[in-house]
Amino acid sequence: MADKRKSLTRRDFLQGTLGAAVGASVLGTKWLEPAQKAAGSSLVAVVRDAKAMDSANVVNTEVLKTMLDNVLTKVTGKTTANDAWHSLLKADDIIGLVPTPHLNPTHKEVVEAVKSSLIAAGFSGEKILDAQGGPDKPKACTALIGLPGLKAHWLTGIGTVMKLYILYSGSARSYHDANSAKLGGILNLPFVKGKTRLVLVDALHPLFDKGPQVDPRYKWAYNGLIAGTDPVAVETVCLRIIMEKRKANKGEPWPLSPPPLCVEAADKEYGLGTSDWSKIKVDLSGWKEDALLG
Amino acid sequence: MPPLFCGIILFRIVVRMKEKRDRPPASIFFLSALFAFAATAGLGIAKMKTAKPELPRTVGPWVRNEAIRTISAENIFEYMDGAGELYIGYRFDRLEVTEYTAPDEKNILVELYFMKTPDDAFGLLSLDWGGEPVDLGVARQSAEKQPTWPNALYGEGLLRLRSDKIYARILAEQETPRSRKAVLAIGGAVVKDSTDSSSPTLLRQLPETLWPEWKQRRGVTSYFRSHLVLNSLYYLSQENIFDLGHETEAAITQYERESPLGIQRFRILLIQYPDAGAAGRALAHFQRAYLPDHASSSTETQNTVSVEDGWLGYKLNGRRAVFVFECKDREMAAAVIDQL
Repeated sequence: MADKRKSLTRRDFLQGTLGAAVGASVLGTKWLEPAQKAAGSSLVAVVRDAKAMDSANVVNTEVLKTMLDNVLTKVTGKTTANDAWHSLLKADDIIGLVPTPHLNPTHKEVVEAVKSSLIAAGFSGEKILDAQGGPDKPKACTALIGLPGLKAHWLTGIGTVMKLYILYSGSARSYHDANSAKLGGILNLPFVKGKTRLVLVDALHPLFDKGPQVDPRYKWAYNGLIAGTDPVAVETVCLRIIMEKRKANKGEPWPLSPPPLCVEAADKEYGLGTSDWSKIKVDLSGWKEDALLG
Repeated sequence: MPPLFCGIILFRIVVRMKEKRDRPPASIFFLSALFAFAATAGLGIAKMKTAKPELPRTVGPWVRNEAIRTISAENIFEYMDGAGELYIGYRFDRLEVTEYTAPDEKNILVELYFMKTPDDAFGLLSLDWGGEPVDLGVARQSAEKQPTWPNALYGEGLLRLRSDKIYARILAEQETPRSRKAVLAIGGAVVKDSTDSSSPTLLRQLPETLWPEWKQRRGVTSYFRSHLVLNSLYYLSQENIFDLGHETEAAITQYERESPLGIQRFRILLIQYPDAGAAGRALAHFQRAYLPDHASSSTETQNTVSVEDGWLGYKLNGRRAVFVFECKDREMAAAVIDQL
């Protein structure tokens, strides 16, 4: 299906062919706020704390642990992190943690916090694996927890959730051009499909331009964790934060180029979740300053 | 050094031949000159092939690691994932990576991207003219009459620079006054023997002003070869509808003017192809892919078309094609392509 996709041009965006989220990101138009969220909306929890990192961007692990507990309970509706994990995972799951490995990588403190939290909830440390890498990694797991770092990407617009599993394809480079819209298809590979139980985005120190190579001018301390069980909804929230930060930085709309086609494709073609802002409920808690979520 | 060796042999043969006569002919002097030329040419070629900056062993408290990691086009993706496409899009030769470390200081990463031509190094720097221009002492090309472009830009711990065929990124993991000084010192070492700070000839086709009031926005003027780079600057299509590649050169910029209605802008894309045939085929590709609803103009080599975001114009001139986007009316689009 993807190979017969019509090649999208700038004119398609201008004609409003594509969804509002992607259209807003490439044209710099305003994100339309619906009067109310649609029934059955996907919940995305955003937890921030101004003290998550110090002025030298060193992570405060105690603050991070509290943030993690909060985001887990908000996403699952449970009262404790332990109960939250047990609502997402089975006791005998072999759990794969999937961080962004390098180039604005997931903070090791975030990975450690998640692992410690799982162990505290009673999951065996021996069954918690590093699942970032080639196809053999997810094959060894029954459950995956995505832990991407939040960043823009020069090839795909955004390089966070949908790009996280690119190495599972065994041919990462084939997704670098027009085929970046097919990234969502990786989540539907037989040895990946249905395994992602949670996406938890490391939004402590995101990158809003020129990714994946780091340019410190385009990093900022958002001090947040973003989590949800709908990977497309999580990516859409991440996209909005990136776009609003770009606009704030320039003082005018600063569209993403190329557009993050993978986001809408993950929704409309691969059925992985929703990129429709009217169907995404954002639960923002903690530090509210410059949350960039409208 | 084949030229040197041949020169020596030839010289000895002729000298021996001439020894049989009492009077050395003028040809001996000619051949001596040829010998001298061959020797220096050989040395010159050797120098060009191995031109490599000598990085200081120490800079303040930082000490350079002896190990240098060399990355080729074949393994660049292992090093930097999709970022590798950027450099490959610019005719990348190799990357050499090293680090400086210091007790009680964060590391400084040095990446030297060896490109095929100085234009490719320039192109990489041109993708982002932001940051603080710093003078690292690169000699200006006196022949270049156009306003010059920065050779080095610094921002929050990252120094980006170009030096002959090298594009470099020197990144302090944490910016401090000491790390800034060290980064700039390392940058100075990279450019120390630089001899070529010219900008791509193609950029000289883009005037600083069009008519008195439209000025080029140099801050968004970029030079490139790859459609992936074009898409990162100004998205037009998922596909390579302009047939861009290593054998092409392209430049993109905006022109703007103040008006009672606010700032007005339009965008120009200029592409040079290996020959007129390639340019013609590329234009036809663009017309089919971007203007399928304007089939009646599909054979025109110069035209203006109304699209969703204003008027678009294009013109083919030999092996060069110029495109203008987001013009406010047909007259402007036509006037712009006539100017270039």
